[in-house]
Order: sequence, then C-alpha cells, then structure tokens
Amino acid sequence: MPNQRKEGERFMWLGLWLAVLGLGVGILVGLNIPLVLPHAYAKYMSVAALAAMDSVFGGIRAAMEDHFNNDIFVTGFFSNALLAAGLAFIGERLGIDLYLAAIVAFGVRLFQNLAIIRRHLLKK
Amino acid sequence: MNKSIYVSVTMVAIILGLMIALQFRTASSIDRGVPYGREQELTVEKRQLDRDMEQLREEVADLSAKLEEAGKGYSEATDAFNSELLKIKLYAGLTAVEGPGVEVILDNLPENTRPGVNPYLSPIKDDDLLKVINDLRGAGAEAIAVNNQRILATSEVRLAGNHINVNLTKLTAPYKVTAIGNATTLKSSLEIKGGLVEYLSDLGIVVKVEAKDNILIPAFTGVLRFDYAKPTQRG
Repeated sequence: MPNQRKEGERFMWLGLWLAVLGLGVGILVGLNIPLVLPHAYAKYMSVAALAAMDSVFGGIRAAMEDHFNNDIFVTGFFSNALLAAGLAFIGERLGIDLYLAAIVAFGVRLFQNLAIIRRHLLKK
Repeated sequence: MNKSIYVSVTMVAIILGLMIALQFRTASSIDRGVPYGREQELTVEKRQLDRDMEQLREEVADLSAKLEEAGKGYSEATDAFNSELLKIKLYAGLTAVEGPGVEVILDNLPENTRPGVNPYLSPIKDDDLLKVINDLRGAGAEAIAVNNQRILATSEVRLAGNHINVNLTKLTAPYKVTAIGNATTLKSSLEIKGGLVEYLSDLGIVVKVEAKDNILIPAFTGVLRFDYAKPTQRG
C-alpha cells in the first residue's frame, strides 16, 4: 500500500511538472502570437480563465487526495470555462452583471482548493 | 491510462497559459486604449449628435428653400430692372436699333453743274439737315441718325466751317439721314408737294429718298454729361 502510494505520488509530481511546463509554454505562446482579443470579449475571457484556473486547482487537490479522474478533470475544465463565459454573456444581454456570480463562486472555490492543497502539503 | 492523464494535464495547462497570457495582453491593451464604459458614453454622445445633425439638416433644407425663394424674387426683380433699363436705353438712343424706315441722301450738285458757286463751300447748311430731321420726327420717326451719328435729345447739328458737326463729330457731304419708322409715312411726308424735297431741290441740293425694309441705326457712342441737371421730386 505505501509502495503504491509512493508510486502514485511520483506520478503526481511528474504531472505537476508537466503542468508547469505546459503553463509556461502556453504563456509564452500567448504572449507572442499576433492576436489580440476584441475588448468586448475581454470580460468573458477573464471569467473563463478564472474558471479554468479553479478547475486546475481542483485537479491538483484531487490528485493530492488520490481520487484524480482524468475525464472529470478535462470535462470540468472546459465546461466550467464555457459556463462562466456563457454566464457573463447572458448577464450582459440581461443587463445583470452575472459574471460577478461566476467570479465569486470560482474565487471562493479557488481559495478553498488552495487551502486544502496547502494542508495536504503541510501534512506530509 | 497514465499517459492520457499527462497528455490531458499538459494540454489543459497549455490552454490555461494561453488564456491567461491572452487575457493579460488584452487587459493591458485596454488600459492603454479606451476605458470600458467610455464606449457607452460615446454611443450616447453619438446618438445625440446624430439627432442634432438630423435637425440641422432639416434646417439647412428649410433655409435653402427660403434662399431659393428669395433668389427667385431677386432674379425676378433683376429681370424687371433689366427690361426697364433696356427700354429706357432704347428710348434714350443708347442701343443700336433696326427696322423698316427711310434713307435720305443729301448731296451737292456736281461741281460742273454748279455755276457761280464756290466749290469748296458746301451749299448744304445745318438748317437744311435740321429741317430734314424735324420733318422725319414729325412723321413719327423713332430713331434718326446722320452719317451713323445717332440723334439724341442732346445732339447738336451745327455748321462749323465746311462741315456740319453732329455729336461733336465733323460730317461732310454727302449726308445720309437714316430714320426708322413707318417707311411710307416718312417718305410721303418728305416728298409731299411743296414739301422738303422740293424746297431743297430748289436750293440746288440733290435729295434722294429711299424706303428700306431694314435699316440699322447705331447707338450713341459719345459721353453723356449731366453735371448740372439733377433729378428732383418737385413739379
């Protein structure tokens, strides 16, 4: 059992490094491609980015708690991002700042996930 | 299975990085550009300006219609003035005119058939010319000229040495008096029995009267001066 756990942790760290590497590559590419989003879409993009970040931290937390599921992670990532952006869009059409709801919800979850990750790291 | 986890994690990380970087750039370009909300402000302003422009356009159309009306009135007035001016010029003899009339040629007898007369002294006197002009006027001539010198209200016919001065221009024989009017009336008033033609022939002047369908009488070309006479409302 401890052996298996160790094995799982090894996989987890490899995944983490891969994630950091991917993040760096993504940021590099994003900073260098000659594409600027129209200002009108900036709001949606920001909310979507927040939701995606929440998903990623949720994934890290799940990995630490050893019940990481790849399908849940990937579908959660995209659906959260799209839902957040869609919420912002609908809010814009309805005249309500619905994106605030997304920001609050994902922000709270982000901090919760971060706290749990911190605890897991400290407990070791 | 592990492999697919890595692949998905990497892809998700790349996408997240892309999103963050793009968002970062967009946000910083917004800071440099127009702040959000300014757009709405400008939209409202634009709508207001559009309305204003619409109103001003209507005003322009209205005013140009008025201007056109005024211009029409003005051009009508100008036309009236011009036609009046033309009429007055015609009356005063400041325009060339043409029409039916008579041509009277007065000449001295040839020298060899003029015995005992000084050949250098013209026997045609200013009186004779004045008589002709007077007779033509009496017969209703509307325009008269002597050797293409238009006879105006102020024209003089004066003997000056061997010449006759008309409009301060020296004229010599033969004198051609042209008059526009009813040709038959003019002709008959001159050729009436005991009339001017007979009288002048007796004086030894060759007189030839000819009715013409179209006579051109030039305009007065001199300078009219009215230094002393001023228009007045009295009388």
